[in-house]
Amino acid sequence: MGADSGPGAPSAVPWRKVLYERQPFPDNYVDRRFLEELRRNVRVRHYRYWGVVREAGLVAQQLSCVAAFLTLWWYMDQSQLSPSTLLMAGLLFALLGYGLYEALGASRGGGRTRLADLQSAAIFLAFTFGFSPVLKTLTESVSTDTVYAMSAMMLLAHLVSFPYAQPSPPGSLSLNAALFASVCLASRLPGALHTFAMLTCALLVFALWPCLLHRLRDRAPWGFPWAAALVSLGSVAGLASLSPGGALLLAVALLTLTLLCPLLLVRLQRHKDNIHGPWDEAEIHEDLSHFLQ
Amino acid sequence: MGQRKRAAIRDSLANQIMDGITLGHQDSPKHNICMVSDFFYPNMGGVESHIYQLSQCLIERGHKVIIVTHAYGNRKGIRYLTNALKVYYLPLQVMYNQSTATTCFHSLPLLRCVFVRERITVVHAHSSFSAMAHDSLFHAKTMGLNTVFTDHSLFGFADVSSVLTNKLLTVSLCDTSHIICVSYTSKENTVLRAALDPEIVSVIPNAVDPTDFTPDPSQRDDSKITIVVISRLVYRKGIDLLGGIIPELCLKYPQLHFLIGGEGPKRIVLEEVREKYQLHDRVRLLGALEHKDVRNVLIQGHIFLNTSLTEAFCMAIVEGASCGLQVVSTRVGGIPEVLPKELITLCEPTVSSLCEGLEMVIARQRAGTVPPPATIHSRVRTLYTWRNVAERTEKVYDRVAKETVQPLHRRLHRLQAHCGPVAGCIFAFIAVLDFLFLLLLQWLVPDSVIDLAVDASGPHALWKRSGNRKHSV
Amino acid sequence: MTEDEFTDINGKAISLQCQSHSNFCREFTVSAPKLSLRRIMVYTCSVWLVAYVVFFFTQNTAVLSSAIFITLVGMMLHIHFVKIDHETLLIVGSLGVQVSSSYASGRESTTFIEMSKIKDIVINEAIYMQRVIYSLCILLKDPSDPGAVSTVVPLFQSSKPRLNCLVKVYRSCQEILAQC
Repeated sequence: MGADSGPGAPSAVPWRKVLYERQPFPDNYVDRRFLEELRRNVRVRHYRYWGVVREAGLVAQQLSCVAAFLTLWWYMDQSQLSPSTLLMAGLLFALLGYGLYEALGASRGGGRTRLADLQSAAIFLAFTFGFSPVLKTLTESVSTDTVYAMSAMMLLAHLVSFPYAQPSPPGSLSLNAALFASVCLASRLPGALHTFAMLTCALLVFALWPCLLHRLRDRAPWGFPWAAALVSLGSVAGLASLSPGGALLLAVALLTLTLLCPLLLVRLQRHKDNIHGPWDEAEIHEDLSHFLQ
Repeated sequence: MGQRKRAAIRDSLANQIMDGITLGHQDSPKHNICMVSDFFYPNMGGVESHIYQLSQCLIERGHKVIIVTHAYGNRKGIRYLTNALKVYYLPLQVMYNQSTATTCFHSLPLLRCVFVRERITVVHAHSSFSAMAHDSLFHAKTMGLNTVFTDHSLFGFADVSSVLTNKLLTVSLCDTSHIICVSYTSKENTVLRAALDPEIVSVIPNAVDPTDFTPDPSQRDDSKITIVVISRLVYRKGIDLLGGIIPELCLKYPQLHFLIGGEGPKRIVLEEVREKYQLHDRVRLLGALEHKDVRNVLIQGHIFLNTSLTEAFCMAIVEGASCGLQVVSTRVGGIPEVLPKELITLCEPTVSSLCEGLEMVIARQRAGTVPPPATIHSRVRTLYTWRNVAERTEKVYDRVAKETVQPLHRRLHRLQAHCGPVAGCIFAFIAVLDFLFLLLLQWLVPDSVIDLAVDASGPHALWKRSGNRKHSV
Repeated sequence: MTEDEFTDINGKAISLQCQSHSNFCREFTVSAPKLSLRRIMVYTCSVWLVAYVVFFFTQNTAVLSSAIFITLVGMMLHIHFVKIDHETLLIVGSLGVQVSSSYASGRESTTFIEMSKIKDIVINEAIYMQRVIYSLCILLKDPSDPGAVSTVVPLFQSSKPRLNCLVKVYRSCQEILAQC
């Protein structure tokens, strides 16, 4: 059974994949059954196109949120939008959203009362209002270009690190990046009240809206695509009033994200080639933590 | 050590130098083998004992064997072990997990010096985790020596780290003369990982020393049933499963005891289980065990349990069976190939399946229908012996020695054709640099000024003739 | 007295001089080749050329004078502290071993090891730079434990003869050690 004894005459005993038996085959013998336990693509998920499109809608609407926020900022910067209008609109949307959130939530989890919500809102508003003159002058010594570049980077980081799989609450990195970007942008606005209005708006768009959207997705799945489409359309329309070229680009980007990328994902699945076999590390599928609780 | 060495050199050093090479009249050719691995004593583990035992058996068969590894703390330089097994502890920087850092080049001067002065004909590298093993394969091929590689572990294909290591393995093995795997599953795995021709991969299992693992039924307490687990307490050994099995079975069988040997990060899981279910008197954690104590623990048990999630060749279950225990194990990797069906109960790697298997064995144990330990031992003792391993490895060496090592241009071709357009070109370039570096070294220190080492083992060994003579100052 | 030609581990010629004063007193001298005039010339010329180039650009004569100064001092330091002309091992049975190395300038440094402290003289293998070499060593006894070795004193450290030379010295030494 040496390495060099060659395949030799076909033996009467078939080869067996066992080590405990001395078999009349050389050590480097390759049987017909070599690699017969090889499996390919065992755990490949088969995607449905429209299902993927639906999920991709979340990415598109997040991009739209960023675009809408930037549009609002631009109008504020040009003083074409007064802070009081923005604040009123913000209040209206916040109340509407809160109502919707409450209506969708069957049971209040975590033991938070309306009073606690109101308290948090009041504290946030009071502090932001009090500190808005400070925030206004925060980046005065930094050049405008730097501020814009930093905001762009941060908004990009927000988009990249946003937890699209479980959007509530938004991941701390993505939320912090977005708030940092809004503070930077808000500090370039003409007045302290402008800054306050912009930050409130940022909180609505980047912190509260994903929470509402998540609940919408959970409780009323039919409403989610409509909400995403509405946000996307709104942002494109808003951008169109500012720069038609930009709006066109945004629309193309959104269409690519929602329609073309899922198509690619579904189409490229057939080129997947995963190898599995007895050598794979076994996975523990059971939940073993109950033994320890 | 100094004593023996001195005696050896005094008595016959000059003789050997005067005689030159006196050819022994043996039928089979004798090789000068250099085992290279990062893992060797004082580190302990499967690879380490494999290298040691294989070397001892090869020396016994008349080959010259040396071992090259990196320095372990204060243990550096050249040492001799039992039967004049020479070990070079080279001062190379350890990077991670006892594996040396690799730059592809920095180890060439020392390795070349060792290969030349020991007149090495076959370089045998061990373990795919060892950077030094890959380095030595690379340099040996540059120097035109025959190469053999033994793979001791299984690897997946799923994550990024395995994609990278598999690529490196492809490069390292694409022009290695012969590869040895420890089980058929391991062979399939290696052939796929390194894209090899299966004809150049041999399967030679590991072995255990049956005399070290003899049963002793008087040591066990038959009023209770003891389950023994001996493994490192890490995730890959399925310790989480064990943490699920212990409460499940202990609640059902009041006379059941667990004896767990080994140390590792998952010890905390077992301690928590023991704490929560108040099993302090029934689950004993022994901590890290020395190799010589393993048998003393094994013979106290009735059932040996192995919960590994992946395993190329499980030595522990053979040791358990050799001590006459009933073996229950997960059906993963190469484990189904290791023991015949009547000696092992195979289960799926889930708590419920393992509990089922254990309960079946416990029932048999209570009914007294299990074969006596001595019967199991006599069945297992002949299955895996180091002598057999050495014999089969020797055949690999004989085969490799007949092959010619590919010259540089053929090697470059093969690298480019085999390892993909990018990695192939990069490593072909490195191979050329390595060759130029070797030429530079040969110019700086020609082979002729490197003193040939005095053989400690092999056909011209000095120690056999004079090693046991006493010397007095 | 005999004189043999050997090479050191880098392939340069060295000579071994064995002098047998009496049955139990022998002296071994390993001499390295003398400083070659050509190498001194090459080094000096290169330093001066560099100095002249610097002088050409800076037009500062201090450069030239310092170059002369540096070569002179460097040469003196080299022959006084670095270049070892020959190493001597004097072994006297029942008395001890004297190891001395004399520098090219004539300076000598000598150590003496009593026979009672010496456990043995052996040829050892050691990793030196990027090589594995043989070297002759004296093993010293551990005062607390007579069976153990406390220190290893390597011999002929600067000339580093090859194995055949070491074997010759080693066998002579062992003859004397065996007598006492």
